[in-house]
Amino acid sequence: MHKDGYMIQFFKVYKTYPGNIKALADVSFKIEKGEFVFVTGPSGAGKTTLMKLIIRMERPDQGEILVNKRNLSRIKHSQIPLLRREVGFVFQDFKLLNNKTVYDNIALVLRALGYNKREIPKRVRQVLRVVGLDERVLRQPPLKLSGGEQQRVAIARALANTPSIILADEPTGNLDPELTVEILDLLEKVNNLGTTVVVATHNTGLVAHYKKRTIPLYRGEMAA
Amino acid sequence: MTASMGALSLVRRTFGVMKENGPAHILSIGTIAISFFLFAAFLLLPLNLTSLLEAWEKKVQIILYLKDGVEEQRILQLTGELQKEGGIREVRYISQRTAKESFERDLAGYGGVLKGVKEEIFPASLEIQMDERFRTPERIRALAARLRTIQEAEEVQYGGVWLERFSLFLYTLRWGVWILGGVLVVIIVSVTANTVRLTLYNKKGEIEILKLVGATDAFVKLPFYLEGGLQGLLGAGGSILLLLALFHFFSLKVAPYVSLYFGELRLSFLPPAMIAWILGIGVAAGLLGGLLSLRKAAGI
Repeated sequence: MHKDGYMIQFFKVYKTYPGNIKALADVSFKIEKGEFVFVTGPSGAGKTTLMKLIIRMERPDQGEILVNKRNLSRIKHSQIPLLRREVGFVFQDFKLLNNKTVYDNIALVLRALGYNKREIPKRVRQVLRVVGLDERVLRQPPLKLSGGEQQRVAIARALANTPSIILADEPTGNLDPELTVEILDLLEKVNNLGTTVVVATHNTGLVAHYKKRTIPLYRGEMAA
Repeated sequence: MTASMGALSLVRRTFGVMKENGPAHILSIGTIAISFFLFAAFLLLPLNLTSLLEAWEKKVQIILYLKDGVEEQRILQLTGELQKEGGIREVRYISQRTAKESFERDLAGYGGVLKGVKEEIFPASLEIQMDERFRTPERIRALAARLRTIQEAEEVQYGGVWLERFSLFLYTLRWGVWILGGVLVVIIVSVTANTVRLTLYNKKGEIEILKLVGATDAFVKLPFYLEGGLQGLLGAGGSILLLLALFHFFSLKVAPYVSLYFGELRLSFLPPAMIAWILGIGVAAGLLGGLLSLRKAAGI
């Protein structure tokens, strides 16, 4: 694959938290555009830190990170929002705003990104269809939905700005096995539409089921 | 068009934020209004007391009591000399007879209380009226001191001692207002900062999402600055309205009674420039409060 075909590249990345807690050490990998990758490892392996580094929520102590040709060591603070607009983030605990409706949860993102007022309702309905949710949920608060539906809403929100990358940190951690498969199928569907998908999970069974490339981590290092 | 829509959306978001945290904002605006009310009232007080002082100063005259036995000719000469002096508008000679007659007029209701009292016990005097621009406590005091050096002067009286004290009180009050103002601004900044911090805490989840999806710093932070500024403006505006209401009440209901004792009161409200300053200080203190709370919430 040509160098330009990589969406995410890590070169000898190190990250240590205060208190000398080693999160990542000598981590290098490349993820191609349109690839579906699992980042695997037990709790404390450094999966979340790796995800946070991709969206510049954290900075590495050493090493270089390239995301869609942007060198994260060199981007200015003012450019971080532009980087994040290319990435959709999905969390284990959904991080939906429970005092707002499903519609407002998704529309909030679009408003923040300067979408036209007329465009927003159309776009919200569009992404809701992609994640397989009925329009009837639009006016409901997230807490009235099932766990699987809430995660679908979170994925819809992540997709709202048509990102190049979807990062999902333990997206099925709070779901039962049936819903887990539903959500992973959905992420696979999103990947088939051309979006690069990176899923962090400790669920080895899931990884085995989907037969995708894995980046295995153990205590912050790339496992053999 | 886009800029105005953006501004409109920002204002809408700010009001949305304030509505969600309604009781805290009402409390905060109320506290700011009370603080500014105290400040504005203390500004209004010296403003009107100064006009009262000016009104009293107009009435001030110096009375030079003459020693017994000063000849008529010398009195006329003295009157002429004094009238030529700079700052003196009029000198009126009050003879012993005139003094007694005046006293009798004043005590007319008390029957013959002055019956048998000889006019000799009433001292002759010169009543000296001063030019308007010379009616300052310092000048009155200086002139009185000079009049005391006149050989024929028995005593010099003027209502200046208490005027001087009143003037000093006003001077202290004016300085006190600015010290009070400084303390109140600190209170306002702190109140606003705490309310904005409370809003920040309530909106933590939303802010986190906005930052993650790539909202700019301005988009995330501006409503909170605006929230602080708006609180300051509403608080300061509220204080002006409250003061205006009380001012009208005082003018209509209380001032007529005060005038009976102290002469005609010409009350004036804060001038527009001062109101604009108060509103400006309100906005600035509110913005500063917003800025401080956002700085403390470093993660945002």
